[in-house]
Amino acid sequence: MIWKTLKVGFHRLGSPPTFYRISALISPWLWAGFALCTAIGLYYALYVVPPDYQQSDSYRILFIHVPSAWQAMAGYLVMAILAAIALVWRIRTTEIMAMMCAPIGAAFTVICLLTGSLWGRPMWGTWWAWDARLTSMLVLLFIYLGIMGLYAAFEDRRKGARVACILVLVGVVNIPIIHFSVEWWTTLHQGSTIRFFGESTMHPSMMPPLVWMTVAVKLMFGAVLLDRSRNELLEQDRRKGWVRQAFGGDA
Amino acid sequence: MIPDFEYGFYVWTSYAVFALVIGWQIIQPLARRRRILAELREELALETGEYDDPDS
Repeated sequence: MIWKTLKVGFHRLGSPPTFYRISALISPWLWAGFALCTAIGLYYALYVVPPDYQQSDSYRILFIHVPSAWQAMAGYLVMAILAAIALVWRIRTTEIMAMMCAPIGAAFTVICLLTGSLWGRPMWGTWWAWDARLTSMLVLLFIYLGIMGLYAAFEDRRKGARVACILVLVGVVNIPIIHFSVEWWTTLHQGSTIRFFGESTMHPSMMPPLVWMTVAVKLMFGAVLLDRSRNELLEQDRRKGWVRQAFGGDA
Repeated sequence: MIPDFEYGFYVWTSYAVFALVIGWQIIQPLARRRRILAELREELALETGEYDDPDS
C-alpha cells in the first residue's frame, strides 16, 4: 500500500505541470536558506575565526574552496543518480534535471579550481601543479563541459539528454579518483583534513564557517537546479497545453 | 568594517570569484525565464492576432 502510494507519487512528480508547480514552491525556501546560511557562514569566516598560526588569513579561502569542491563532486553524484533513473525509467523531468546539474557542477568546479589556485600561490609558491588531485579536478570540469556540449549538440533534446546521460555514468569513474588521489599518489595537495569517520585534523573553532558554507552551497545547488529545470521544461513544452493554459492569461 | 587581512589580495579575489560565479547562477535562470516568457507572450499574441509589431 505504502509502496504503491510512493510509486504513484514519484510518477506524479515526473509530470511536467506537477514538477513545475512544486519546484516553484520549494525553490524560494532553498534560496532563503542559502542566503541565511551564507550570511552566517561569511560572518564566521571573515570576522569570527582567528588567523591560522602558519597560514595566517590565507586559510579563509578554504571556507569557500572546500564546500565548492565537495559540491562539485556531490553534484556529479546527484547528476549520475538522476541520469540512471532517466535511462531506466525514461522520465523526462529527471532527464532535464540531470542535464541541468552540469552547468551548476561546472560552476562549483570553476570556483574550486580558481580559489585553490589563489590559495596555492602564497602557500605553495605556485598557481598550479600537475598533481593528481588538481588534474583530476580539472578533468571533472572537462567532463561537465562535455556533458553540456553533448546535450546542446542534438536538435532533439531527448536524444541529446539520453546520450549525455550515458557520458554522465561513464564519468562517475572520476569521482573516486578525485577523492582517493591524495592517498593513491604523492600529491602537493594535502590529504583529507575533515573526516566523517575518525578525528578531523582541523581545529574545532574553525569548523562553524565550513559547516555553514557547506550547507549554503548545497541549498543553492538545489535552488538553481529547480530554477534551471523549470526553465528548460518551459522552453521544451512551450507549445504544449499545460504551458498555454498556465501562461495564456498572464504571459 | 572591512577586515584587513594578511594575503588580502588572494583572500578577497577568491571571495570575489565566489560572488561572481554564484551571482551568475542566480542571474542566468532569471534572465532565461524572462526571455522564454517574452517569446511565449509574443507567440500567443501572434496566434490570437493581437501582435503589436514594434517595427511597423
